[in-house]
Amino acid sequence: MKHLRFVNTLLLVAIILVNGYILLIPLFPALTYWWDSRNNAVAVLEQKIVKPTTTKTVNNQPDGLVIPSMLLDEPIYTGSSAKTLRKGLWVRPTGSTPDQGGNTVIAGHRFTYADPRGSLYHLDKVRVGDPIGLYWQGKKYAYTVREVKVVKATDISIEAPTKDNRLTIYTCTPLWLPKDRLAIIAEEAS
Amino acid sequence: MSEKVRFWILIALLLASIALLVISNRINGQVLVG
Repeated sequence: MKHLRFVNTLLLVAIILVNGYILLIPLFPALTYWWDSRNNAVAVLEQKIVKPTTTKTVNNQPDGLVIPSMLLDEPIYTGSSAKTLRKGLWVRPTGSTPDQGGNTVIAGHRFTYADPRGSLYHLDKVRVGDPIGLYWQGKKYAYTVREVKVVKATDISIEAPTKDNRLTIYTCTPLWLPKDRLAIIAEEAS
Repeated sequence: MSEKVRFWILIALLLASIALLVISNRINGQVLVG
């Protein structure tokens, strides 16, 4: 009986740990964001968009997306399968690419328990007018956020081809019950 | 409540918690539109 009581105590601890993880881990990225934003990280990333200005440095830059207002500086990946999302930010094959013009679409995870710090966890912190930098095949493309909106998960209009050069970035929303998609639409800065 | 009954209740709760974790991860793992 004493042995069983010890096992029950262990089980209770395990239950508390699992449920604590479920409840608290979605808040972990918010904590790290608060911590990082204390260290002038936004200004550092904004500098990265303005600089480098020399071609050489740009050529050394791998394909990636920089959004200072959400402290994002991550590589982007191409691929025909949704498995590409496991690597990080996915340049959707249904969209265009920056060099071709039109609507370049990038999707990414907001949050998963397997990877709590999803690439686009802080997409809700992006506001109209925020600058975005996109490095693509040795060139740097600058965008300015024009629209932030929430659409239904079935609304594929955000991926439709456009005549203007734009960047569409979307992820799941809300955090705990991701039934919709949070999308930001940025126009290429002239 | 006997320790034996408590044991089976805790096992059920632990399994339910793990199932909730797996389901939550699957729901949050969806990102595609259309």
